[in-house]
Amino acid sequence: MESLKKILPWLLWLWLALVILGAFLYAPAAVGFKGSSRILFFHVPMAWVSFLAFLTAGVQSLRYLYAGRERRLDRSAAAAVELGLAFGVLATVTGALWAKVMWGAYWNWDPRQTSILVALLFYAAYLALRAAVEDGETRARLASVYAVLGLVVAPFLYFVMPRMAEFTLHPEPVINAAAKVDMDGKMVQVLMASLAGFTALFYWMHNLSCRIQDVADRKTRSQR
Amino acid sequence: MNSSGGAGGGDLNGWILAVNLIIWTGIFLYLLHLNRKLRDLEKDQ
Repeated sequence: MESLKKILPWLLWLWLALVILGAFLYAPAAVGFKGSSRILFFHVPMAWVSFLAFLTAGVQSLRYLYAGRERRLDRSAAAAVELGLAFGVLATVTGALWAKVMWGAYWNWDPRQTSILVALLFYAAYLALRAAVEDGETRARLASVYAVLGLVVAPFLYFVMPRMAEFTLHPEPVINAAAKVDMDGKMVQVLMASLAGFTALFYWMHNLSCRIQDVADRKTRSQR
Repeated sequence: MNSSGGAGGGDLNGWILAVNLIIWTGIFLYLLHLNRKLRDLEKDQ
């Protein structure tokens, strides 16, 4: 078990290194995207991980509210939101770089750009709420209710709102309106591998973040 | 999204590939260092 724990991070390094090599050397460039399509292999997984992080925060907050008010669950939710924001900002930046190449401007108020911006502001407000309340228990309770609300807000902003718009410059999502994947087979392979790798990376980073906070919490308690 | 049929690239792609690999390796080594440090701290506690 201990040796597996040591090997797993290296497997993740190898996996994502192969994804990077695959994105540039194996997958073909998409027609009409001026070679910028390779950003897809990083932009989509980052957006996916930010959604997954916000979902994790909501689930951990729900567990906090209904399963004994354990502080570690609240800390886990906060760590997930912080990581979700980081990955969300990276998805927005990579999207803006791609937009500059394809649309001629970094920001176009496209429905997808707008909805991810609103999602980021929603979760930035979660951190602001945490920072504004001093009492630990009240902070955890209020933040948990807010993050549970996010279980409705995040899917709406990521999946429903962009599809409600009548016009968008954004390319079709990976699974299109006809519920099919209209993409070259090699591109799908690299994209799926990237999604799996980024998901594993998120859970590793989340685990580290939770452990840092646990260590800090134990230290504070022992000093009292 | 249809493909143009080849991985293609040139010098620019080579540079971007190298920078991507360096950035990922750097992030990975930092996380690994953090993991080791945390394990030591957890043992101490």
